[in-house]
Amino acid sequence: MQTAETEINIKGLCVTFPDKDGGEDIHALTDVNLDIKQGEFISLLGPSGCGKTTLLRSIADLQKPSSGIISVKGRTPHEIRLSQKYGIVFQSPVLYDWRTVRRNICMPMEVIGLPKKERTRRVDAMLELVGLTKFGKKYPHQLSGGMQQRVGIARALALDPEILLMDEPFSALDEFTKEKLHMDLLDIWNKTNKTILFVTHNIQESVFLSDRVVVLSPHPGRVSAVVDIDVPRPRDLSSKGTPEFNALVNKVRNSFEGV
Amino acid sequence: MTRAQKDKLTDILVILVWVLGLIILWEIGASIVAQTKRTPANVLPHLSQIVESVFSDKMVSNKQTAWQIVMSNAGITLWRAGLGFMIGVIVGFILALFMRYFKAVEKTAFPYLMMIQMIPILGMAPIVLAITKDINKSRIMIAAILTFYPVATNTLAGLKSVEKEKLDLMHSLAASNWHIYTKLLLPSCVPYLFTGLKIAAPMAITASILVDTLQGSGGLGTMLSQSLKHAISIYVFWQIVFVSAFIGILSYKLMSVIEKLYSPHEKAKAAKS
Repeated sequence: MQTAETEINIKGLCVTFPDKDGGEDIHALTDVNLDIKQGEFISLLGPSGCGKTTLLRSIADLQKPSSGIISVKGRTPHEIRLSQKYGIVFQSPVLYDWRTVRRNICMPMEVIGLPKKERTRRVDAMLELVGLTKFGKKYPHQLSGGMQQRVGIARALALDPEILLMDEPFSALDEFTKEKLHMDLLDIWNKTNKTILFVTHNIQESVFLSDRVVVLSPHPGRVSAVVDIDVPRPRDLSSKGTPEFNALVNKVRNSFEGV
Repeated sequence: MTRAQKDKLTDILVILVWVLGLIILWEIGASIVAQTKRTPANVLPHLSQIVESVFSDKMVSNKQTAWQIVMSNAGITLWRAGLGFMIGVIVGFILALFMRYFKAVEKTAFPYLMMIQMIPILGMAPIVLAITKDINKSRIMIAAILTFYPVATNTLAGLKSVEKEKLDLMHSLAASNWHIYTKLLLPSCVPYLFTGLKIAAPMAITASILVDTLQGSGGLGTMLSQSLKHAISIYVFWQIVFVSAFIGILSYKLMSVIEKLYSPHEKAKAAKS
C-alpha cells in the first residue's frame, strides 16, 4: 500500500446548498482534504447530514463543488465520468424492473456500445462473480433484497470501472444478508483490486471492511478524523469481536464531533 | 385445487352472480312495465324481445334489418373513434415528451390543455364541426381531442416519476440523451401510458357516439337518436345500448392485452402472486 499511487486527491473541497426557505446557506461540506490511494478500501462514515453522500457524489461528478479541487488520476471528475471509469452502487438496487437480471447487468455495456458477444461474455462472468448464474433470466422482483443488491454490484462492475463508489449499499438489508455480502464484497475487491469508496453510517461495517475510515461530522459537514484500520487481511467473521477490533471501533466512535 | 384455481373460480362466480342479478332485475322491471305502460318496448322490453329483434329478418329501413343497421353504423363509429384515438395517442405522447424535455412547453401548454378538457364535449362539437366543415373529420377530431389529454398527462407523470438514482446511474455512465430516453425514460413510462390508453379508449368511443346524437351522417349515435324519435324501430336503440357497452369494454380489454404483451415482467409478477 505504501508504494501505491494516489488515485483521488481532494483539496479544500466545499459544497454549499442555498437554503430553500431563504435562510442561511447549508454547508454540506467544508474544507475536506483527502488522499486516496489506488486499490484502497475507504469508508466514508458519519451520521445523516454529515455530507458523506455529498462527498461521494462530488467525486462521481453528480454534484458540483462550490470550491476546492478534486482530481482523479490527475484529471477532473468530469473527465473520469465521461470516460466511464466509475461504477456506482446505490442504497436501493436501482434495477430496471422491465429488464431481466442479465439485461440489467448488460445495460451499461449497451450504453457504451460494446459488441453483443463481449456483453454476453461479461454478463456471464459478472453473474459468476456475484453468484447469481442461475438467476440470469429472472426479473428483479423475483429476487430477494440481497440478491437484487448483488445484481446492482454486478452491473457496476460490468464496465470494469477503476473506482467503485458505493452509497450505503447494504443499509436496507438484514444482518445475515449483510454479513454475507460483506464477505462477498471483500472477495470481489481482492480479485479485482478496485479502489472502493464505501459510504455508511454503520461503525462496525466500516471498520470490518476498510483500510481507512474517514469520519465525517455534521453541522457543518467536515472530516473530523481519518482512522487507519490495521486489522490483518484476509478478514472473516472471526475478525469481529477481537480486542483490537473493538478498540478500533471505539477509536472511530470517539472521533465524532458535535453529534 | 390450487390457490390460483380457487381464486379464478371465485372470480367467475362473482361475475355470474352479477350477470344473473342484473338479468333478474331487468326482467322484473320489464314485466311491470309490460302491464303498466302502453308501449312497453319504448321503456323496457324483455331481454328475449331484444335478442329476437337481433335475429329478425324484418326490414326496418333501406332494406336493412335492425341488426344490419346497428352493425354497419357500429363500423362507422369504430372507424372514427379508432382513427381519432390513434391520432390522439400520437399527439399526446409526443406532447408529453416535449413537456418533459422543455420546461417552458409544459408551463405554456399544460393550463390550456386542462381548459380544453373542461369544455363539455357537446359544446365543443359544433365548434369543431365549424372548423373541419365535415361531419366525419369532426368526429375523428373530437375522439382525438378526448384521447390526447389522458395520454399526455399520464405519459408526462410517468416520465417525471423516474427515480433520481436511475437518472444518476445514467449520468454516471455518461449516457447520451438518446440513451436516457430509450433505455430509461420511455420504458419507465409504459405502465403510465397504458393507464392513459385504458381511460382514453372507451372515452373516444363514448364521445363519438354522443356527438353523433346531435346531428350526423351515420354512426351509432345518429341511429340511436333516430330510433328514439321512432324514425326506425325502437329495437335499434336497445341493440345499440348493448353493442356500444360491449365495444367500450372491448376497447379497454384490448389495451390491457397489448399492455401484457409489452410487459413480460408484469406477467411474471402476476404469475407469482
